Amino acid sequence: MNYPVWDVPVLGGAWVIAIIAIIHVLISHFAVGGGLFLPMAERRALAQGRAEWMPLLKRHSRFFLVLTAAAGTVTGVGIWFSIGLGSPAGTSALIHNFVFVWAIEWVFFLVEITAAAVYYYTWDRVSDKLHLAVGWVYAVSSLWTLIIINGILAFMLTPAGAWLDAAGTGDEVRTLWPAFFNAEYWPSLIARALVAISLAGTYALVTVSLLDGAKHADLKESFARWSSRWVLPGFVLMPIAMGWFVAALPEGAREILALGVGGAGVGAFTQVTRAALYAAVGSATIAPIVLLLVWRDARHLRLSHALAVIGLALLTTGASEMAREMLRKPYIVRGYMYSNGLFEAAVDTPEERTASYLANSPWVRPAEAQAWASPVSSESYQLERGELMYRGQCLACHTRDGYRSTRRLLASRDRDGIQSILTMLHERPEDSPYNRYMPPLVGTADEIAALGDYLFEDTTVARRAYLKKEGLTEDESVAPAEPEAQD
Amino acid sequence: MWRGSMAKSSSAGLSALGARVWNWCDERLALSSIWAIAEKKTVPLHRHTFWYFWGGISLLLFIVQAITGVLLLIYYRPGPEAYDSVRSITYDIQFGWFVRSLHSWAANLMVFAVFVHMFSVAFMKAYRRPREFGWWTGLALMGLVLVFGFSGYLLPWDELSYFATAVGLEIPRSLPGVGALIANIVQGGPEVSTVTVQRFFALHVFVLPLVFMGILGVHLALIMKHGSAVPPSEEARPERERRSIPFFPNFATQDLVMWLICFNVLCVMAFVFPWQLGKPADPLASAPEGIHPEWYFMSQFQVLKVLGEWIPGYLGEILGIGLFTLGGVLWGLLPLYDNTSQSGVRARHATWLALIALIGLLALTIWGYAGL
Repeated sequence: MNYPVWDVPVLGGAWVIAIIAIIHVLISHFAVGGGLFLPMAERRALAQGRAEWMPLLKRHSRFFLVLTAAAGTVTGVGIWFSIGLGSPAGTSALIHNFVFVWAIEWVFFLVEITAAAVYYYTWDRVSDKLHLAVGWVYAVSSLWTLIIINGILAFMLTPAGAWLDAAGTGDEVRTLWPAFFNAEYWPSLIARALVAISLAGTYALVTVSLLDGAKHADLKESFARWSSRWVLPGFVLMPIAMGWFVAALPEGAREILALGVGGAGVGAFTQVTRAALYAAVGSATIAPIVLLLVWRDARHLRLSHALAVIGLALLTTGASEMAREMLRKPYIVRGYMYSNGLFEAAVDTPEERTASYLANSPWVRPAEAQAWASPVSSESYQLERGELMYRGQCLACHTRDGYRSTRRLLASRDRDGIQSILTMLHERPEDSPYNRYMPPLVGTADEIAALGDYLFEDTTVARRAYLKKEGLTEDESVAPAEPEAQD
Repeated sequence: MWRGSMAKSSSAGLSALGARVWNWCDERLALSSIWAIAEKKTVPLHRHTFWYFWGGISLLLFIVQAITGVLLLIYYRPGPEAYDSVRSITYDIQFGWFVRSLHSWAANLMVFAVFVHMFSVAFMKAYRRPREFGWWTGLALMGLVLVFGFSGYLLPWDELSYFATAVGLEIPRSLPGVGALIANIVQGGPEVSTVTVQRFFALHVFVLPLVFMGILGVHLALIMKHGSAVPPSEEARPERERRSIPFFPNFATQDLVMWLICFNVLCVMAFVFPWQLGKPADPLASAPEGIHPEWYFMSQFQVLKVLGEWIPGYLGEILGIGLFTLGGVLWGLLPLYDNTSQSGVRARHATWLALIALIGLLALTIWGYAGL
């Protein structure tokens, strides 16, 4: 049973989604910022009679068209494919709630890429006024795509209380706007707009860096300096937007963020803090780098300089998106659906968590459901059931031998040690440190035992290596009292 | 800039307040003359200019270590409490893990940057007359950086640091006659113990920085005096075809950009791979499997290991130490051997020596890790 649980070895499905999404975010934000950049630059060139800017802008718009319409579109479709495979339940929940919102975004996207193509292909073919108007159509439509998609992304982190109350009743549509304009909507929109504006300036440096500074000294200097100013709004206002963003976070998310301040290893799930901290460092340093590069020596700006800045922008964007995603832990939609597709309301009480997972899984054929939930008949059957539990409830976040490897995390535990951690995940005592980061473990006692058996068997090689390294025997393996680092 | 305007005896375009502040400072600190000197200095512009940044990068990493080192000093307690204090820094104190990770990663990156700087100087032949003392002070600084790394590695007093230091101190101990005496003085006794931690601490936070900063001052003064050397390929070009940019502010600005990029790399390392702490050191326990020194001592470690297998006993170790010493001496004498700007047999020999040294270091390091 490989489908529908997406088993990506080493990397894990979540990282596949993340890699595609980070590239897409970088391109799509550039599309929004660049949408403003092109008509504003053209307007400035026309107003100041800088005819020499036009060929450069035309070249930039070609680069822009290729990047946004080709790479942006491909990665956009890639996100749909990957989230559909990695998180089918989450994708389904979002589509069912926001289908018309997405339809509106799609219309704006269509206008956007059409306008981008028309803008590029009508250079020198239509009047300046008409060409500029096409540029503004592009700018406005691309801005609208951000305005719309931001609502859905922010919703996953802070769905409104009204929507949560209506969730599952079939009446969710009445709470669409509170869900869309949720607590994180405005700070998130402002932060994204600032990122988009900054990226427009940094991408323009790539185009201008290709100019020969000796031959086109004035053009290179004037264009690079004007482009570099686009990083200033983000540099000045981003701390305010981020402050607002953090203030609007739910208490639980803020607690997760604060955990990594006091320690980055033992007993702490600190990736989110570290990612957020790098995002802050990157945001604070990119603008000075850009300004210093063009301040004195814009003529000597080289492609390697521009690419270094883009590389840092990629890192910063990646870190901030990663932090935002991890702040949702352990949910896909906070307070509604866990990262492995379980609905919070369906597994809230101990009784609900003790119902059979395998019999109720939507991915098990109805005819087979009872058989999977029935008591053990053989050791291999038990392991097969354990693997199904693992695929259904663990693989969304863990891999066997790579990112958040269960083999590595459980190598120091014996059979009882593995069972005790599963029991803790299942019973969720109030003082359990796992409650913040991991969904509850659902299943009958027999299913949980099957999962424990599977994990013990699967961890055999890693456990032996651990015992050898520590000079211990099988009987001496210990279960750490504190949760392991999740890196 | 304020100074530019002052030089033209005019404050046009500047705020009166800014001009007054400049004048006030200039009168007391002679900023105009410093600026004038800095502006006269130029940096050659050619396809190898990138390698000029590595000296500055090494300096940045030293500054980071100085600052983070002072912050670590607030909580670090040498001696028997060393392990607990580092544990507290790493897992309890707010941002303690970050400061420690920055310090440790900066140390590793600095060793890397210093190696790159040294080899770029060697390949660009920037040790030739009149820059011999620049080369020698640079080598002294590199030696100190390695001692910094070695002494700092023991300070957490965990299992790995203990055994790595014990293995490392076997090298001086194997010297005939004086070996045991040297090892005893360094260790503060016949074995590595918490007394050694105190000695290494004193060396790491006081003696080494003092010596390092003195030599660094001379090194920088020599660079200011002689300027940046151009590689032979650039020297062969006619004077009128050579390009350069003012050191200040143009090159200094680019240096600053490089520093910011480097700082990002450093932070990424600290955030992605925060420095962890192993079990407390236990001199009575057996050494963990595959114990080895830090990567920058791996080539020497591998030479000793291989020679020890070929020629067991003291002879192998002494031969290994003799080889390092001979290599170091030859490397240090490079400016005296290849001392003219002419391209000739000696220049080619020097280039080959640098190439062999580089490939040898890389190959031995890889071989060392492959054999673990």
